[in-house]
Amino acid sequence: MSVKKTFLSPWRSLLFFVILLATLVWLLPFVSAILTSMRSNDDIITRGFLALPRQISFNSYKVAWTRGGLSHYLPNSFIITIPSLVLTLILSSLSAYALARFRFRGNRLFLYMYVGGMMLPFQVLLLPVFRLTDALGLYDTYWGLIAFHTAFQLGFCTFLLRNYMRTVPGEILEAARIDGCSELRIWAQIMMPLTLPAIAALATLEFTWIFNDYLLAIVLLRTDALKPVTAGLATLQGQYVTDWTVIVAGALLATIPTVLVFLFLQRYFIEGLTLGTGK
Amino acid sequence: MKTRLLLLLSLVLLLGVATACVAPQAPAGQPVEVTKIVEKPVAKQIVIYNSYMSDPAPREADEALVKMFMEQNPDIEVVHSTVAHEDFKQAIRAYLTASTPPDVLTWFAGNRARFFIDKGLIMDISDVWEEQGWNETYPAGFRALSTVDGKQYFLPASWYWWAVYYSKSTFEKYGLQEPQTWEEFLQVCETLKANGVTPLTIGTKYRWTAAAWFDYLNMRVNGPEFHINLMLGKERYDDPRVKKVFTDYWAPLIANGYFIENPAAYSWSEAIPFMANGEAAMYLMGDFIRDSYPQEQVDDLGFFRFPIIDPNVPVGEDAPTDGWFIAAKAQHPEAAKKLLAFFGSKEAQQYMADTLGRLPTNMEVDTSNFTDAQRQGLDLIQKADFVAQFYDRDTTPEMADVGMNGFMEFWDNPDSIDDILARLEAKRAELFGE
Repeated sequence: MSVKKTFLSPWRSLLFFVILLATLVWLLPFVSAILTSMRSNDDIITRGFLALPRQISFNSYKVAWTRGGLSHYLPNSFIITIPSLVLTLILSSLSAYALARFRFRGNRLFLYMYVGGMMLPFQVLLLPVFRLTDALGLYDTYWGLIAFHTAFQLGFCTFLLRNYMRTVPGEILEAARIDGCSELRIWAQIMMPLTLPAIAALATLEFTWIFNDYLLAIVLLRTDALKPVTAGLATLQGQYVTDWTVIVAGALLATIPTVLVFLFLQRYFIEGLTLGTGK
Repeated sequence: MKTRLLLLLSLVLLLGVATACVAPQAPAGQPVEVTKIVEKPVAKQIVIYNSYMSDPAPREADEALVKMFMEQNPDIEVVHSTVAHEDFKQAIRAYLTASTPPDVLTWFAGNRARFFIDKGLIMDISDVWEEQGWNETYPAGFRALSTVDGKQYFLPASWYWWAVYYSKSTFEKYGLQEPQTWEEFLQVCETLKANGVTPLTIGTKYRWTAAAWFDYLNMRVNGPEFHINLMLGKERYDDPRVKKVFTDYWAPLIANGYFIENPAAYSWSEAIPFMANGEAAMYLMGDFIRDSYPQEQVDDLGFFRFPIIDPNVPVGEDAPTDGWFIAAKAQHPEAAKKLLAFFGSKEAQQYMADTLGRLPTNMEVDTSNFTDAQRQGLDLIQKADFVAQFYDRDTTPEMADVGMNGFMEFWDNPDSIDDILARLEAKRAELFGE
């Protein structure tokens, strides 16, 4: 009964209509991507991108996986993303703890350096980054990419975690310190569990960012066998002819991990938000 | 909840560290290959090959060639990477200056290769030319294209022609013949227009399609010699002869509505449907149009030489040539030369010509299986007095960039041609030092 009542209200129905419209507009590119992936290239050339498929075929997905090379690009993406993510989170939580809780000369300076680094457009640094990787012998290796991902994400993560850690009541840490707990243990056993909601949120974000990175991958890698999915899929773009159906199918397949990560971590995310409220 | 979260986090940590440790650092680190190497006493030679052949059909042919080479040379392993064409054009500077560049790379013949040769980034391969007898089996024109100061640096491998493509069925419908001269061409345009068909389709989103019009009009009006000197920075852009191309020939085509509306909204291939649907009839394009044209309609596609404007002017054509070279700092020069020798061989060239319909550079290639289109294209180029590469290949990249922006501006606003040419001239003077 109550459901019916809400629908009868004119304001409600207007709101519903607007939201429905917005949802449809928002879904349009996604739906057209799915439709494109089921069409043939000839069909796209003759009838344009926005048209219903004349024939539905899932062949593009198969082609993307095999000839498109997704079967080795996708594992590469994980080999690059997971270590970068782990390193970023560990290092940034350590530095954030230090910046949030220790008083020392230059504390602010370090923080500003991190924030300043964040502001620097990454494209400006491409050439020095390339030269440095080459000089270090890391050019065209996974490690080169992992190192630079970690370095570039460190600023943002530290800044965010530092602010979050400052909200943790200092008394808890004091208590541990009085009991003779080492700083590293305070970080590991007190600070980290309390910061988990922030870390989970950050992990979701960072995973998507690193996973979706394209620029670093094409600058620091030249061997096809090492490329992540973003750079790999791009190789299907030709000088004159682009295999749109396969690219779109591949891109859709490549979003699955990100979506999964988000869905999975989102649960902890919300649990994390309510963590400790009852105490 | 907390313990579960911690558990999850430590799991992710463990996984991360594990993958990082397992991750192979060098390519071809699959276990299967490792055992293979262990079994054989001689280690496999490696050659790294980076290619920009990222269009679907050439890519397949490229991969097949590498496979053929590896079958013939079991002791050599080719690490083959295909890079998106536009990315490759940017990334090649990084590739060539890195301490471990790829050994063999695809590239454009002519000025674009010259740029790297002058910087000492391309290896002298005169010995390969000598050994393989290419000095005899390749036409003098292609040899000249690969030679700097008497040494060969480049292997020209395949090329294609430019022409005015048209829909045979549309022409038939209105009783039209392939025009030979400019007057006939304008007549064809007028007839089509009168029948509600847009004469010319073009997609100028990426600008180079407009550069083709400049190339051809300039070559037909002022002759190929003047054109190539302009490309090399030896003639001025504010020359009245250049202006004539725009005001007397190009502008009327635009003003009369012979081109489709809003060409800048389409990429070159997005402009194809107009022709396939019969809304437009002609397209000045390279032969790769065949790869993108709807497959069931390809037979309807005909082409003719860009109409002659002044019969006293020698005929110039655009025929962009692609090929391969070896990086100067290549780590595996011996294997790289073997791969290059294979790419230039009759066998490989024959394969590319037969599967892709491009034209081979090696004169030993058997042309008896060629399609009618290939023969007609070959004939078109052989009858030409001069063969240019293309606007953005004949001049320097910086000049091409400014030039193509100028063409786009002219398209939108033909009256501003004096300003545009003054700007191009300033850039030319700056780049070629005057």
